[in-house]
Amino acid sequence: MIFFLQEQIPLPNPPISSAPPVQVNAILTDINPIVNYLPILLLLIIAISFPVVALNISSFLRRTVFDQAKLSAYECGNDPVGDARERYSVRYYIIAMLFLIFDVETVFLFPWAIIYDQLAIFGLIEIFIFIGILIVGYYYAWRKGALEWV
Amino acid sequence: MVPLSWYLALSAVLFTIGAVGVFVKRNVISIFMCIELMLNAVNLTLIAFSSFYREVSGQLFVFIVMTVAAAEAGVGLALVIAVFRNRESLNTDDINLLKL
Amino acid sequence: MQSLNLNYYYVLPHIILSITGIMSLLFGAFNKQAHRDLVFINSAGLITAGVSTYRLWNLVSSNAKDGPLTAFSGMVVLDHMSLAFIFIFLIVAFLSTLLSLNFLEDEDQSPEEFNSLLLFATVGMMLMASAGDMVMVFLGLEIASIATYVLAGYRKTDLRSNESALKYFILGSFSTAFLLYGMALVYGATGSTNLETISNAIKSGNNAITAQPMVMELLYVGAGMLLVGFGFKISTAPFHVWTPDVYQGAPTSVTAFMATGPKAAAFVAFLRIFVFTFAASYSFQLHTTWVNLLQVLAILTMIIGNIVALSQTDIKRVLAYSSIAHAGYALIGFLADDWISVAFYMLTYSIMNIGAFAVVSVMAGKGDEKTELENWAGMGFKSLGLSIALLVFMLSMAGMPLTGGFMGKFFIFKTAWDKGFHIIVIVAVLNSAISVYYYLRPMVMLFFRDENETNPTPLMSWTTYVTILLALAGTFYLGIMPGRLFSLLEVAKDVLVK
Repeated sequence: MIFFLQEQIPLPNPPISSAPPVQVNAILTDINPIVNYLPILLLLIIAISFPVVALNISSFLRRTVFDQAKLSAYECGNDPVGDARERYSVRYYIIAMLFLIFDVETVFLFPWAIIYDQLAIFGLIEIFIFIGILIVGYYYAWRKGALEWV
Repeated sequence: MVPLSWYLALSAVLFTIGAVGVFVKRNVISIFMCIELMLNAVNLTLIAFSSFYREVSGQLFVFIVMTVAAAEAGVGLALVIAVFRNRESLNTDDINLLKL
Repeated sequence: MQSLNLNYYYVLPHIILSITGIMSLLFGAFNKQAHRDLVFINSAGLITAGVSTYRLWNLVSSNAKDGPLTAFSGMVVLDHMSLAFIFIFLIVAFLSTLLSLNFLEDEDQSPEEFNSLLLFATVGMMLMASAGDMVMVFLGLEIASIATYVLAGYRKTDLRSNESALKYFILGSFSTAFLLYGMALVYGATGSTNLETISNAIKSGNNAITAQPMVMELLYVGAGMLLVGFGFKISTAPFHVWTPDVYQGAPTSVTAFMATGPKAAAFVAFLRIFVFTFAASYSFQLHTTWVNLLQVLAILTMIIGNIVALSQTDIKRVLAYSSIAHAGYALIGFLADDWISVAFYMLTYSIMNIGAFAVVSVMAGKGDEKTELENWAGMGFKSLGLSIALLVFMLSMAGMPLTGGFMGKFFIFKTAWDKGFHIIVIVAVLNSAISVYYYLRPMVMLFFRDENETNPTPLMSWTTYVTILLALAGTFYLGIMPGRLFSLLEVAKDVLVK
């Protein structure tokens, strides 16, 4: 039982680096290991600038007509002002359930994306079959009127 | 550094809370949440072992459990809605039509 | 470490049934009133799957020397046990499809969801049968269970059906959580989720990854949790309380399916894990522990099932308690480490139960209104054929010679007796004698009571008629000429021994 008092089992051997490291990266990371996080910083900048730019461009292009409904905070169709303990309509439920299912199923795309370069065309076909089955389910729900706001 | 046994103890406690909750609670939704708690306690165990052994099959298991739990939640909530529409109550003491 | 062996041929029956399920879903979405067409689509899919299973059976037989076929990194294992059980599931699904047509048409329920859910549940059961990994056992179990939860609540406005589905759902997922925790602990003890690696680890007593002695406490607790989980699914005695309520409330054709299919599937996964993975030759201590436990469970299950059934007034509850008792009989086959008699027993059990529930669904009329035995008083001569069919199924369940039920019980008791489980076999035989009382009570109501109300003569559609005839034929065939089937299975036994 003393065995479980460790955090992880000890590694059998020191990790063997299979591919020779890229020289430029090696030099940079020798200077400062935080350089490895540079792509994330770039992604962050792009992610922040995208909505800012998009909103500003559209504010130049749009006509400015305001009314009561447009000025109120967007709350998915609910009245944004009032008691927070309001009951939701049961009609949200079916949408929520569909969202839940389809949202969670996409979790399988992550492991697929990680080894996509090894699976190649085979993996692409497999994932299209997977998404195809999801689309059939979605189409069935649509056809049956689950997306109608009755 | 957190040893494996702490994770195991935590997940065992969570699992027990869930299991006791299933027996104690009277509202179907609460029971349902307790079952989800049990499943997630198991997920914690699997992840802890997976990390401990530096091996991936436990994490694969967790992926499957998560999606299955979502499907189960969908079906379970649909059944709850169906019961509530016909019965106007979610108290398990009122759901008593079938018995000896 | 196995290679990533993606062999789609080994899961062809599963693929065929999945595609058929999706197709019938889409077909129903485009066509209103497609009840009958869907029966044909389903039957075609099931028969095609049966043919491909038969080809796989031959393949397994010809590859007998190399052991079972594995695919998908050991996720799928095909041997004679899995294929035999897949055949049982296909038969169950076929009979249930035929049986459900009447219910769907009479009550104007949407057929496409019913039929595709039935097929998806069958796929889940087949995955359980061919699982070579605990992940697969769990996934198959959940596919089968979730589809069956929905089927149990198929009468959306009927309170009994709602309640049945809700109870099934809550207790089913509760037991699944136990099963899952057991799997997690076994994974922790042995370091693998693959059943073959686990059995090797148990054989050597060492963890598969660290190669140090494994923590036996984890393995024991895990195996205990697995036992609880499977006990719920096959409804053994302390965990049986959900069964009567769920079977009573669900639509009768659904009850016929879930009393047979998912139960047989739980049995095959149970066999795979307890008899083959925790096999006797590997770990004597673990094996004796669970054999002792199972002995107690089996005795309790038989006694409680049979005694409580005596006091039931609703025919579906009688059959539910009888199915609990039958789970107890089948558990005896576990003790003897003999999957063949269990498979044979599940086949006879499935056929006679579907037959009995088919008769009940006709007698109970539209909406399953008349399931109380009191309602059946004096109906026997009005519907003579049905009553005689019910008599045959009931006698078969009681274990009357010349019927399938007798042969199933005989093989199980014989192997258990030969292995030295004398007490439990005596208890089981006594229980069979008790059960005759409640199996014959409906007959007394049907033939020897005066009619207390003017019941209309029950009507049935031709598919129900065919279902009952097929079940009758199967019951007699297995009872009178079990030799051929059993010799097929006996050959498989030699192959499977490791």
